[in-house]
Amino acid sequence: MRAAAQKSSAATMLIVLLITLLSFSCSQSHPDRIVIGSKNFTESLILGELMAQQIEAHTNLKVERRFYLAGTYICQQAVLAGRIDIYPEYTGTALTAILKEKTGREKQTVYQQVKSEYERRFGLTLGPALGFNDTFAIEIRGEDARRLNLKTLSQAAAFASHWRAGFGYEFMERPDGYQGLAATYGLHFAQQPRVMDLGLLARALHDHQIDLAAGNATDGLIPALDLFVLDDDRHYFPPYEAVPVVREQTLREHPEIGPLLADLENKISDQEMRRMNYAVDGQHHDAKDVVREFLHQNKLAP
Amino acid sequence: MQSTRAAPVIEFRDVSYQVAETHVLLNLTLQVQSGEILALLGRSGSGKTTTLKLVNRLVSPTSGEVLVNGVPNLNTDITRLRRSVGYVIQEVGLFPHFTVARNIGLVPNIEGWPEPRIRARVEELLQMVGLAPELASRYPHQLSGGQRQRVGVARALAADPQILLMDEPFGALDPLTRDELQREFLSLQRKLRKTVVFVTHDLREAMRLGSRIALMEAGKLVTILSPDEFLRSSDPWAAAYVKAFGDRLESIATEGKS
Amino acid sequence: MNFFRFILQNRSQVLELTAEHLWLVGLSTLFATLIGIPLGIVIVHWPRLNKPVLAGANIIQTVPSLALFGFLLPVPWLGDRADRLAILALTLYALLPIIRNTYTGIRGVDPAVLEAGRGMGLTESQLLLRVELPLAVSVILSGVRTAVVISVGLATIAAAIGAGGLGEFIFRGLAMVDNRVILAGAVPAALLALLADVGVGWLERRLQPR
Repeated sequence: MRAAAQKSSAATMLIVLLITLLSFSCSQSHPDRIVIGSKNFTESLILGELMAQQIEAHTNLKVERRFYLAGTYICQQAVLAGRIDIYPEYTGTALTAILKEKTGREKQTVYQQVKSEYERRFGLTLGPALGFNDTFAIEIRGEDARRLNLKTLSQAAAFASHWRAGFGYEFMERPDGYQGLAATYGLHFAQQPRVMDLGLLARALHDHQIDLAAGNATDGLIPALDLFVLDDDRHYFPPYEAVPVVREQTLREHPEIGPLLADLENKISDQEMRRMNYAVDGQHHDAKDVVREFLHQNKLAP
Repeated sequence: MQSTRAAPVIEFRDVSYQVAETHVLLNLTLQVQSGEILALLGRSGSGKTTTLKLVNRLVSPTSGEVLVNGVPNLNTDITRLRRSVGYVIQEVGLFPHFTVARNIGLVPNIEGWPEPRIRARVEELLQMVGLAPELASRYPHQLSGGQRQRVGVARALAADPQILLMDEPFGALDPLTRDELQREFLSLQRKLRKTVVFVTHDLREAMRLGSRIALMEAGKLVTILSPDEFLRSSDPWAAAYVKAFGDRLESIATEGKS
Repeated sequence: MNFFRFILQNRSQVLELTAEHLWLVGLSTLFATLIGIPLGIVIVHWPRLNKPVLAGANIIQTVPSLALFGFLLPVPWLGDRADRLAILALTLYALLPIIRNTYTGIRGVDPAVLEAGRGMGLTESQLLLRVELPLAVSVILSGVRTAVVISVGLATIAAAIGAGGLGEFIFRGLAMVDNRVILAGAVPAALLALLADVGVGWLERRLQPR
């Protein structure tokens, strides 16, 4: 009867629609383009742009940028699902946040561990390290470092009781953050450390509101505000070397990418990364221009 | 009471039905003969509808037995039982998403009759209940109340059951339509000779249609009488009914019966 | 305008994220329907289960979606792939409207129709398949419509945990402080919800019993 015919044609339409949807979404490979992701902070952006321009300059591949992804887990999910092909990660973060292993001390060991685990568990390859170590940086004012002749954290520990410290929320909460640091170096501050937004720490240090802060080693404001990074002589912090994470499938489809990323090995020092970060954050230059200039200066690209 | 020459088609043996603390039916013993129209007459709460539903097991007795063609109906497969008994209710209950033809032909369809046979049967039934054949492709909401109940009767007769159960079938209709359908039902019964049990609270309807009237009150069978006997009965309940329904009952009692 | 040019320039990404979004919504709604309609039928016939089932589905609804995504992250197998997790969570959220509407739809069938059907000798399953479900289909579809519209919105939040979909544009746009990127996610998502609402609504009306 008419009613039944209507119902079965409606049902058929729905099924056809569903099958179309499912098949459309199932094919996640994009053979003719490379998608590069990055996390949502400046340094990650710069590294993503760096890899993108490196590939664009030396191949005919179309490179798509998916920057400002909201964090480590999201980037990991995206690269596993094939939504992105490459993104910049840090060895320390990969070890603790993704592989959920205990942190290590030695750069090489950590790198090898992450590399082999990524290949085994996820089918992801690690490119060679880009050169810098974006670890936690315990900073004091440059003038204090010079006046008291301080180079290492162990030396600075002696003065802790005269100082006020400032840390970000995450650093305070993490077991491998403030608590571990204080224990390792025997730090006893006069008062409880002030907890504040990461972005405000450098300023507060500069303005004498605090005397010691935990920031990022490659923060652009370090040279700009004459801040000094104390050496982690007891190797408390794990290494956070920047590495490209690449899908094995992508490397198979485009083997030319491998050597291009290898060319970037050790090309960026801590200092260089700070400079580029500051150029974007402090001087408000376009990340694209900063990267283009870097590649040109280092004869990596025309 | 009447002597049984042949075995009764429906028999109630000391049937009781209890729900929680209420005795809906108490010790009901009753026989329905083949080809007769038995009217179950009573007020609300008298147990007449329950009695009807005990036949096709929409209700099961708390004690006692209901026999259909000599077999206790609890022993019969419930689906087979219900498909061999036609059931017509006051609200009709036509399937709104089926056409008239599909409504009527549903049981034959489930029973696996071939399509042509179903179509022929639907045509036949429409004619029998006085409906134009064009109505076969209409939907229930397009029909009048009287037309709907005619379809209800046709639907109940589709698989040619021996027994027809009707629960105040014409109660929801206007007096004119009711009168019309009652008359047509009588003439239909003359042709088909089904065994009919129908429930009513209207003495006039009971007298017009019923070959016997079973009067029920508060779950008990008060008396079973033919319409004539009922009129002249000295039973207090019967007399109360006769009084309540006024005069001109005599003519109704004799109308259209053969 | 800037926005339209942006969409045009990035149309492959927009299409890709829209397809991901549809995948999340489509699969979860399908699962919710496959689970929810039978559950709705069950609680009609076993009224004792009515309260616990509806209460359970209700409780799920009251959990804030982002919190539910967060709870499920550490679960093995589920938490490994964000889209699995998102599909599970979206399925859970879609259950209540579907179960409830199946229940209401079937209960809304005229009792006289059911009585006539039983009296005629229809078995319970024949009654369910030939009478109750066809008569309830419009109400059930209304529940599916609600579920789909809710899912389209919730799926944007799923991007926060890496499941992809149009929400990814929204979160990236927020981080970049770039309205065009935000809109590139928000507008298609809103359009999807609208389309679903209108499309399923049309189907509801077509299948309405008279």
